[in-house]
Amino acid sequence: MSLQEKYQTLLELANQNGTSYELSEADGVLHVNGTAPSEEAKQQLWDEYNRIDPDYRAGDLMLNVSVGGAAAGGGGHTYTVVSGDNLTKIGEKYGISWNQIYEANKDILKDPDKIYPGQELKIPGA
Amino acid sequence: MKIKFLTVLSLAIVVLLAACGKSDADLQKAVAAKLAADNVTGVTVAVDKGVATLTGEVADITVKNKAEASAKGVEGIKSVVNNTTTRPLPAATPAAADPMLKGKIEENLKKAGCTGATIDVKDGVVTISGTVPDAKYAECIRVVQESGALKPNNLLQKGK
Repeated sequence: MSLQEKYQTLLELANQNGTSYELSEADGVLHVNGTAPSEEAKQQLWDEYNRIDPDYRAGDLMLNVSVGGAAAGGGGHTYTVVSGDNLTKIGEKYGISWNQIYEANKDILKDPDKIYPGQELKIPGA
Repeated sequence: MKIKFLTVLSLAIVVLLAACGKSDADLQKAVAAKLAADNVTGVTVAVDKGVATLTGEVADITVKNKAEASAKGVEGIKSVVNNTTTRPLPAATPAAADPMLKGKIEENLKKAGCTGATIDVKDGVVTISGTVPDAKYAECIRVVQESGALKPNNLLQKGK
């Protein structure tokens, strides 16, 4: 059975509830990237996914559906500063340099050495 | 003798055609029209003795299923042979390099309250392990699914 056959009810449901999607494939994994018209429509797709593959164990689907046009994650990734952080340490988490983070956040950071817990930093390239 | 046989044969054909009602050519037109009305594109239909055979390459399996249902719904079609194929899919690519994916997933897990989950990313494959509360489980899996990685490897356990 092909992956499209396995997940055909999920795709049929997407067509019915107004979710637009694009398919791609990588090494035995079906990628469904799309946009749902509402949270409810998105939840319907997740319920169907869980019905076909209980607890999402099979590892053969990547369901990446956002709601209403915004990219999943909502307009870029942000990191929330915690106590003890510095830009170098945060950069290491993402495999980028402190300077890249500083450049992306110059609007809120005056000094790269001064960041505060709770601050939301934009992570470039994420 | 030969002439008599031919006469009988042609008579039989005439009787058979009359019994069938619509000709294959009519049915072919009717199915093609139904497919067009149902917005199914890229499918060619041939009809032989009331059996419709569908061929062509379609966008995905939902279009393939829809084409078959449409053809079956045409009056006079006895059965449908669905030989349509689905278009080969483009290759998925990871949204970012491994460390970037890992950092992003870890932070999003933290935001989702998925403490107890551990992440490892290698060649775009995300392995999630550890234990999270039952009520958080689906949300933690979603973080991985929506990360832009290539493949999920779900070893996450449900706890209390």
